[in-house]
Amino acid sequence: MAAIGIRGLSKSFDGFQALSEFSLEVNQGEFLTLLGPSGCGKTTLLKIISGFLEPSTGTITIGGEDVTHVPPERRDTALCFQSYALFPHLTVLQNLEFGLKQKRVSRDQREVRISEVAAKLELETQLEKLPNQLSGGQQQRVSLGRALVMRPSVILFDEPLSNLDAKLRDQVRVEISRIQRDYSLTAIYVTHDQSEALAMSDRIVVLNGGKIVQVDTPEDLYSKPRTPFVADFIGGANLISGRVSSQTEKGPIIIETSMGPIKTSHLVKDNVDNVELSWRPERAKIGEGPHCGTIVHRAFQGQFTDLILEQNDIIFRIRTNNDKLRVGEVINFSLSPDDVVVLEVDK
Amino acid sequence: MTYERLNSLLITMVVTVAFIWLAIPFTMAVLWSLVDPAEPWTADKLLPPVMSFYRWVDMWENSSLRYALISSYTLAPSAALLGLCLALPTAFALGRFDFPGREFAKLLCLLPLVVPPFITAIFFSALLFQLGLNTWRFGAIVFAHSILFLPYAIRILTVSFETVRQDHIDAARDLGASAWARFRVAYLPALKPGISATLLIVFIQSIEEFAIAFIIGSPDIVTIPTLLYSALGQDFVRPNAAVLSLILVVPNVFLMLILERLMRSANPTLSSGKG
Ligand SMILES: Nc1ncnc2c1ncn2[C@@H]1O[C@H](COP(=O)(O)OP(=O)(O)O)[C@@H](O)[C@H]1O
Ligand SMILES: [Mg+2]
Repeated sequence: MAAIGIRGLSKSFDGFQALSEFSLEVNQGEFLTLLGPSGCGKTTLLKIISGFLEPSTGTITIGGEDVTHVPPERRDTALCFQSYALFPHLTVLQNLEFGLKQKRVSRDQREVRISEVAAKLELETQLEKLPNQLSGGQQQRVSLGRALVMRPSVILFDEPLSNLDAKLRDQVRVEISRIQRDYSLTAIYVTHDQSEALAMSDRIVVLNGGKIVQVDTPEDLYSKPRTPFVADFIGGANLISGRVSSQTEKGPIIIETSMGPIKTSHLVKDNVDNVELSWRPERAKIGEGPHCGTIVHRAFQGQFTDLILEQNDIIFRIRTNNDKLRVGEVINFSLSPDDVVVLEVDK
Repeated sequence: MTYERLNSLLITMVVTVAFIWLAIPFTMAVLWSLVDPAEPWTADKLLPPVMSFYRWVDMWENSSLRYALISSYTLAPSAALLGLCLALPTAFALGRFDFPGREFAKLLCLLPLVVPPFITAIFFSALLFQLGLNTWRFGAIVFAHSILFLPYAIRILTVSFETVRQDHIDAARDLGASAWARFRVAYLPALKPGISATLLIVFIQSIEEFAIAFIIGSPDIVTIPTLLYSALGQDFVRPNAAVLSLILVVPNVFLMLILERLMRSANPTLSSGKG
């Protein structure tokens, strides 16, 4: 049975539709990420799941029980805030204890749970400190610990890493993943950062304008984006539109584009003439090939080099290990038909 | 002009102003309060010719000073508490809810302060008489003082309510806190400096208030200011007035210092730092 069931959920604010017809099942022990640009309704959804907002329509179940109208203080969810929201006048220990006291957990149980979580998060030596005496990473861990001691059926994260600097972000990211796996937590994680989403998730839900665009594993989302939005948002794929020129029973389909004919091994729906194609910048093989372009911009990134190319007023991006190429050079490249994905055109 | 010269000029000015405003009147009050009735302090002498604590002892023993002290120091804390209670709901609404015209409402709350206090006092007491609320004089003064100084209380507490962080309230709620527990953990720490400041300000204002205390209270209730005015008005005994002003002013100076402390500290532990 699904840990969380969301059915036909909509939410509007004075006529503005923040979420529409949202349905989703989250499995027990799953790490699910809600990914989308800012303003697409991620926080709104999280607030509805945690009980701070009531949906306009639709229902939410947690562990099979309908909780649509249960207030947050009686919901078995725990929220990790972007701002940490630690109580500044309470020590780390008192912060960790707060929720357990509210739920009238016995003193012995409180001690057991807190010492276990404090050990796991390496907070044992910090228990007597006030939050403002801790570093950002430590505050983040206290906030996580405060949620963990509650042993909730689902833990919710709202962009928990956005206040940390880049190096710490990687470290905390690994930590959150490890703890989620160790406790087999069901987690819903909100982010607008595609690399976070790809690295941590069992499944990713891509949102745009309050609607689900695609739900898939990170690998499938990356290799088989369904819409131009997903292809572009995740990994910045190259998009090009074209016309189907020949569709044979066997062998790749040929699409006529302004870059010349491109072969794809992915199926095009019947009766469709105009399609949108997507291919990943790192999949182009430089050297021999039917396609070519002039390098108009080059950005060396260390492990790889990003090239912006132009051909027939079309701009596209290639990522390569070859750091010898320079602006102005004309290069040839080929694309494997497997790497050219046919997209559904956004309505 | 160099920075240093400007600096020393400014310091000189501050010292001068402080001297004219504080030191001179204060010293004069102390001296006047020590004038012995045996020989008057005439304008041709720099210091009173004979000094003693006669006036102090006399005031303490033969005037309503003791009674005035008791009534002033019961009125003021009662008015402060009542004012706090009356201001809290309005400040909560102004500080926590977004509604159209909120800024205007905040301004409206401050507006009574531009009316001269004596005028407010006359009309407010007329209102109390009309409503028949003047029979319990002590209660009427407490009520009037708390209403009169409500603008300060509302303003201070509104700012305090604005500093309460929504994520703290939400976090408490998410962790299962009841309304009371949420108030204690999320609101109270942020409100504390504002509550103390409100209590102190209404207290100080009430201790010093004359018009209402006089119009409503006399002749039954004597406060320090009404006693002071009668010392000045009916009998014009300057040394007695000096004793009373000192009794009125000295505790207030200390309260003001505490207030300043409170405002400055405004709880540094309140915001959890990032970094
Ligand atoms: N309380 C509210 N009143 C009106 N509009 C809101 C409210 N909360 C969110 N919105 C709107 O709903 C949309 C989604 O917001 P949000 O869920 O916070 O987005 P995200 O977290 O994905 O950035 C935004 O356009 C936002 O302006
Ligand atoms: Mg958000």
